[in-house]
Amino acid sequence: MEALFFNINDGYLEGIVRGYKSAILNSTHYLNLTQCETLDDLKLQLSATDYGNFLANEPSPISTATINEKATQKLVDEFKYVRANAVEPLAKFLDYLTYAYMIDNVILLITGTLHERDTHELLERCHPLGVFDTMPALCVATNVAELYDTVLVDSPLAPYFKNCLSANDLDELNIEIIRNTLYKAYLEDFYRYCKRIGDATGQMMSEILEFEADRRAINITINSFGTELSRDDRAKLFPSLGKLYPDGHAKLARADEIEHVKNVVEVWVEYRPFFDNSLTSFGGAATSEAKTLDDRFFEHEVHLNKLTFQQHFHYAIFYAFLKLKEQEIRNIVWIAECISQGQKERINNYIPIF
Amino acid sequence: MSGTGPRINIFPTRMALTTMKTKLKGAQTGHSLLKRKSEALTKRFRTIVQKIEEAKQKMGKVMQVASFSLAEVTYIAGDISYQVQESVKSAQFRVRTKQENVSGVMLPTFESYLEGGNAFELTGLGRGGQQVQKCKETYIKAVETLVELASLQTAFVILDEVIKVTNRRVNAIEHVIIPRIENTIKYIISELDEQDREEFFRLKKVQGKKKKDQQAAEKERQLKDAQDGTQNYDPQPADLLERNEDTDVIF
Amino acid sequence: MAQLSSYKDRNFIAVIGDEDSVTGLLLAGIGHVNGPKKNFLVVDSKTPLSKIENTFIEFTKKNDIAIILINQHIANDIRPLLDDHDQAFPTVLEIPSKDHPYDPEKDSVLKRVQRLFGE
Repeated sequence: MEALFFNINDGYLEGIVRGYKSAILNSTHYLNLTQCETLDDLKLQLSATDYGNFLANEPSPISTATINEKATQKLVDEFKYVRANAVEPLAKFLDYLTYAYMIDNVILLITGTLHERDTHELLERCHPLGVFDTMPALCVATNVAELYDTVLVDSPLAPYFKNCLSANDLDELNIEIIRNTLYKAYLEDFYRYCKRIGDATGQMMSEILEFEADRRAINITINSFGTELSRDDRAKLFPSLGKLYPDGHAKLARADEIEHVKNVVEVWVEYRPFFDNSLTSFGGAATSEAKTLDDRFFEHEVHLNKLTFQQHFHYAIFYAFLKLKEQEIRNIVWIAECISQGQKERINNYIPIF
Repeated sequence: MSGTGPRINIFPTRMALTTMKTKLKGAQTGHSLLKRKSEALTKRFRTIVQKIEEAKQKMGKVMQVASFSLAEVTYIAGDISYQVQESVKSAQFRVRTKQENVSGVMLPTFESYLEGGNAFELTGLGRGGQQVQKCKETYIKAVETLVELASLQTAFVILDEVIKVTNRRVNAIEHVIIPRIENTIKYIISELDEQDREEFFRLKKVQGKKKKDQQAAEKERQLKDAQDGTQNYDPQPADLLERNEDTDVIF
Repeated sequence: MAQLSSYKDRNFIAVIGDEDSVTGLLLAGIGHVNGPKKNFLVVDSKTPLSKIENTFIEFTKKNDIAIILINQHIANDIRPLLDDHDQAFPTVLEIPSKDHPYDPEKDSVLKRVQRLFGE
């Protein structure tokens, strides 16, 4: 996409997103937030930021869940505004962003249907970004086969389902495996799409998505130690992209313990520091100082996302904005949890963004 | 009648007295035994109460740590609550009940054990699985504390009940049964005494009556004697017992 | 002791609590689902009181539950029921929740303790 024509369709939205981005809390805000003694203080501090009065109508003993909910709502509103004003191909790109949430929602609904839960209740629990038109129709489905035939095939996720799962699988496979299979299919598809867009978008997105894929591969490997997940099955869940693909994946699939993973990953310079001292804190009680692998992944993700704002005329900032904002919500909720549970010594474990 | 207050409705005989005395002895032994039992239980009870208070404080802390570790999971893996709720199938963490004998009271204690596989081992596979497992460990520890506390609390409830019953028995024996038996004994004794006195009096009366009769008879005879003393040479055979100092008969 | 035989079958821990408490405890593996019957209840602000009460009564009547865990702030709502429950089995245990730290003053059992010794 040439810079020349970018602004015709997407210039406004890029401006908007950059505006949103500048509203992301900075370290001074975080410093203020971590000084809070109660959640009401926190509310007060937040009202001075871009969050404004998002908690104004909440009755006083606010819970962290409410904060999470309201903050997410704000993010969703912003995203929806962007989405509503987008034209092709940005619209398609933004839709891709929502697919990740759809996967979670669909998994939630499948789980609910398997256990014959009230699906209306389930709908309330779905992530608002992952809502798609036919989703309420899931309430009609009573069993998994029906769900698959009538609803899933119409959803945007249909291709992912079609390619990797049959209706039978839904009954038998562990729901987590389904989730990860879907996510793998989604990542691969999204990656291909970004490559097709090319230019800065393709370049930056592939960077981010590759990291995401690598992170998943490493996480799945580590998390499947000592579980019934066989090595072959494990390998099947690795998204076939990323820096580790395919060489690293083959090695990861064989790994049995964290040391192996470390040895495999060390070949890639970018990932080496992740394992440097995170090993010591793994499994044992993480002290307030030690950063876990997950923390490092988050940090790196934030870093990559921040980089996207260094360039103009591409779509990656939309993705980055969403992810950064999500991280921010996580941070706020984390700080709120620390305050409400009196664990102030761990309050600084959030991932600073700017 | 002596022995105010309630008494056992019994026929005042010596036989009954013996039975009552045995009963009293039994009641006293029982009383002291029960008293000792109640003291032992109370001692135990107090330690349990103390432990409960400690455990409740500890529970507060443990649960706080546990819920915080869940917050960590939420931070990394997102909201997993529904997923967790739905993947529940069969309890992995169970308790079994054992019994402990404290002064004849069966106190149940819970013992936790793990059965079956980990239902959540794949939870958070793509993200935060390590945290999930860590959180699981923390919660298992927390639940163990809870189970411990539950044992204490059950013991507390049962002991409370048993102590109440025992104390009630002790008091009943002390204030109702023993006095009643004592009253009965007093009653029997007094009744027996009364009977004795009555008997004595009756005997005396009988004796007096007999004497009177005798005297009357004597008088009558003397009168008769005097009347026909001339007629009869030997009006009466000599009473051998009465008149000992007969003059010696000289042959 | 008539209850003696019933001790043995009591294997499970039931829980009535808010979302986070239940999630955590289920994570520990106490959850047991038997058909439509669960041994846990998630209570949020929308849960009607009658449902909590019925669930609590149902749990107390079931003979495979050894311990009932209940969040203290929920216990406060159905306090009369808890106070009435004087059976040894199942044991009712009040636990703190994330947003409601533990308050020993309100605990039914501790209140009994205080009644016994405090006066």
